Amino acid sequence: MLVDFNFRVILEYLPLFLTGLRSTFFIAIVSIALALITGIIACSCRISGIKFIKYPAIAYIEIVRSTPLLVQIYFLYFGLPTLGLKIPEIQTGILALMLNSGAYMAEIIRAGINSVDEGQIEAGISSGLNYVQRMRLIILPQALGVTIPPLLGQNIVLVKDSALLSLISVMELTRCGQTMTSERFMPTEAFLTVAFFYMCIYFCLKALADWSQRKLIFREAY
Amino acid sequence: MISFYFGRLMEIFPFFLKGLWMTSKIGFISLVTCTLIGFILGIFRSSDSTILKRMVGVYVAFVRGTPFVVQIFIVFFILPEWGVQLEAFSAALLAMAIMGSAFICEIVAGGINSIPKGQWEAATSAGLNRIQQLRLVIIPQAMKVILPPLVGQYVLLIKDTSVVSVIGIMELTRVGWVTVVRIPEGLMVFTLVGFLYFIISYPLILLSNYLEKKMAV
Amino acid sequence: MIEFKNVNKWFDKLHVLNDINLKIPKGEVLVICGPSGSGKSTLIRCINRLEKIQQGQIIVNDTPVHDKSTNLTKLRAEIGFVFQQFHLYPHMTVLQNVMLAPVNVKKIAKTKAEKIALEKLEQVGLTEKSGAYPAQLSGGQQQRVAIARGLVMSPEIMLFDEPTSALDPEMIGEVLDVMVNLVSEGMTMCVVTHEMGFAKKVADRVLFMDEGKIVETGTPGEFFDNPQTDRASEFISKILTH
Repeated sequence: MLVDFNFRVILEYLPLFLTGLRSTFFIAIVSIALALITGIIACSCRISGIKFIKYPAIAYIEIVRSTPLLVQIYFLYFGLPTLGLKIPEIQTGILALMLNSGAYMAEIIRAGINSVDEGQIEAGISSGLNYVQRMRLIILPQALGVTIPPLLGQNIVLVKDSALLSLISVMELTRCGQTMTSERFMPTEAFLTVAFFYMCIYFCLKALADWSQRKLIFREAY
Repeated sequence: MISFYFGRLMEIFPFFLKGLWMTSKIGFISLVTCTLIGFILGIFRSSDSTILKRMVGVYVAFVRGTPFVVQIFIVFFILPEWGVQLEAFSAALLAMAIMGSAFICEIVAGGINSIPKGQWEAATSAGLNRIQQLRLVIIPQAMKVILPPLVGQYVLLIKDTSVVSVIGIMELTRVGWVTVVRIPEGLMVFTLVGFLYFIISYPLILLSNYLEKKMAV
Repeated sequence: MIEFKNVNKWFDKLHVLNDINLKIPKGEVLVICGPSGSGKSTLIRCINRLEKIQQGQIIVNDTPVHDKSTNLTKLRAEIGFVFQQFHLYPHMTVLQNVMLAPVNVKKIAKTKAEKIALEKLEQVGLTEKSGAYPAQLSGGQQQRVAIARGLVMSPEIMLFDEPTSALDPEMIGEVLDVMVNLVSEGMTMCVVTHEMGFAKKVADRVLFMDEGKIVETGTPGEFFDNPQTDRASEFISKILTH
């Protein structure tokens, strides 16, 4: 079993893994930033009450949430070229992650806004604040605290989801494991190393999410 | 051009239905096994025993900390190395069970922990044993908290069955992948695949939303 | 100052306000009581249009409240509202809570608004807590801040929706003291409360509601010692024995 676990080969492949790790970081950071922007826009459209931007936003969010990410990746990977758009795999992958996580983030932000107590809104109304002022001064600052922990949770999901990009041959962490497996046929060493790196990222992000959970949520104490 | 491929796509449509059947089969078996194992682990996780808690905690952290596709590779490639021979279908089910039960375990533990301590104390004072306390007092109340995210998790599990296509299971996603090689209409093929997933998961999403509203009252 | 003319309101089928006619002159202190679900909170929430009405008219200072053309911002600035659950903004300090409306609605300069806010905090006896967050205050202190927040726009009318119902018994007194001081300054006040002591001490008039109707009105002396209707006497005996 693990007795003949071959550390020498892992050491030999370490530079490859580190490149993969860097690539995973890069993909994750770019996708998270783009997904956040997408999420904010989609959420604003959804709660806007203006029909012709509200319904497209709902359709986008619901379609993304009810189909698998892998299908979305393949849809873009095989679909974009048929439209004459030939872009590198890594960009296709980032686009897929952005659209996918963007929909989830839109829902997280919306839940945060809805979580603000009705009484807060009434207090704002009673003071004569208008809709925009209530949003800016009362609702969004409170929603932010509620939103950040699950947004960080979504980032964890996104990092793990980026592993699926290996299936459209983006050279990231998981792809490195596949490469090592096919070259040396040492799947144990390869995939346990890959898993180890993901665990490291996971624990860092998880610690951050837990910390934000403790720090950032304002409660209306009665 | 489009209509030519559309015709061919319709010709092989039964192929897609077979994929849908496979997806449903894996999905259904996984939901049942994951729920069963998840509840048992969730009860362990919320128990007073530190050892049990820790052990389940490590398992959950491993599952939550690594991508599902990596877990599939570990089950599919590594178990045979250790002498456990698995065909692709069993490997897929095993991987689904490992992954899904960890997530459900967290939901169940969260539900049980949300019940105030007084309920345990009241049930203990009434002379109920541990299992009776759970079955008669705690779980029925915890179900209100558990049910909405549980159904939400079912949606995620069904979508995650798409990943088992990587070890060659002929489910919906794999069918799309095989088809697109022969019919180079990626948008059309994967719109169809996506639509078939939508049919299964959207009702569950609606159910989850409904439960969330109903349980909140 | 405040006038209800044939006001009717329904929540779906429930008739929460049933043909309400009421005049509250300037400087009056009106206490509204009644069993839960009798429509008393709804009644005062209609005055600053937190709730809409379906029939009739409410006029505040010659302004029809439920008219489309009404400048609600101006109207609401003239009416302070205190909630049962305080509803302080948890992400702001006490001072920021009180300053919010003057700065953003009246567009008063920050330094000046701060000065006004501190005056109001002094009035409720909480100057030293101006830098604290609501979560660091007791319930009674939070409610006093909420009163200061209502006062800061120099309203002519203050509405109180069960201001002491969410408080522990030992904190009720400090809130009522602040309210009694307001009365002595001649503020027009509508107070939904079951605090009989407060009503007897400062109210000009007590209004008893049940099932959406005004059942009885009278001076506190008349109402508590010699209620005219069975429902009112039943209600009074209940709050006395409780």
